[in-house]
Amino acid sequence: MREQSPRAKQRHEEPQLGREPRDATHWARYVKTLEGTAGPNVEGRRVVGPLQGFGKMWQKTYKVRLEGASASPAEVVEAWRTRFPELSGFGEKGFRVPAGGLVPGAVALLGGLSGVMVLYSDEESFTYMTPEGHPFSGWITFSAHTDEDATTVAQAHLLIRANDPLYELMMPLGLHRLEDRTWQRTLKNVAAHFGATSEVETRIVCVDPKRQWRRYKNIRHNALILSALHVITTPLRWINRRHQASGIRHQQRPET
Amino acid sequence: MAVRHLEVEVRREPGGAVLDLRGEINGFAEEALDTAYAEAERDNPETILLNFEEVDYINSTGIALIVGLLARARAAKRRLVAYGLSDHYVEIFNITRLSDFVSVFPDEESALSGAA
Repeated sequence: MREQSPRAKQRHEEPQLGREPRDATHWARYVKTLEGTAGPNVEGRRVVGPLQGFGKMWQKTYKVRLEGASASPAEVVEAWRTRFPELSGFGEKGFRVPAGGLVPGAVALLGGLSGVMVLYSDEESFTYMTPEGHPFSGWITFSAHTDEDATTVAQAHLLIRANDPLYELMMPLGLHRLEDRTWQRTLKNVAAHFGATSEVETRIVCVDPKRQWRRYKNIRHNALILSALHVITTPLRWINRRHQASGIRHQQRPET
Repeated sequence: MAVRHLEVEVRREPGGAVLDLRGEINGFAEEALDTAYAEAERDNPETILLNFEEVDYINSTGIALIVGLLARARAAKRRLVAYGLSDHYVEIFNITRLSDFVSVFPDEESALSGAA
């Protein structure tokens, strides 16, 4: 067995007093569940990565070369982060950015259905992580880099699984295609924002073809099912509230 | 700050194959990690150990690369074990929920005995 390296020895012998790792501010802090978001299907949910989902694991990479644009990778990522609702095509209502912006740990709400947490954010990339109930369990990283010929390339990289059996069933029935179209459109918009018109390259790899059957219970958090149940039961809640209100009025009526 | 590209060396130990990682795990690390992992898999070890003692920096793309290795290990019914992570990166493994699947040990000795 190899001896511990001097650097590792130093790390164990001298606790890292006051020495923050240089990426410490880029990562979200650990939270057991998402709180204070006021989002249906988000509040109280745990965040999930590509390992916690149900379906096959997919790695999807969408890239666009910003031919002729002079923007640096940092400028591209800054514009992408600050104008995310517009560039992604979700709009302000479809992607509600929290008051403090898309900083690590912030939670953005996706319409009334679900949300995403900012897992990581630095000058040249930012990553979202999904909560339980979202169609996908995983991460999506938006980044930019300079290619060998000095052209800036914008990229969206997804590492995802369908979160539960229902979403997995929906994958070949249009969910895959919807996901592809969303990020291809986003990259086209990013390119157009910088005056480029290049084609989007798409690369899709099935990283793990096995389904995680023991995760079938994830369906209890399914945002589509819970939202549909919420809508269906609206009249019952309305009747219940009326009953309660009339009961209170009855109790408050002065005796004659 | 200058980027320290990842260098990886592969060692064989009685408890499994060890990948000694040195530098930064980011998007540029993909080729080095893939090549070293393929080399580590050659003798069909039951366990592959990732040594993070000399890793300075991991970004979210780097974490995604580690998930890719984990998926490969699980497909081949191998255990993937990590050691030498600083407290900060142990927390990152918790945030990203990698720690649900990768056993984390403080040092090589405990990782090898834990893997046995």
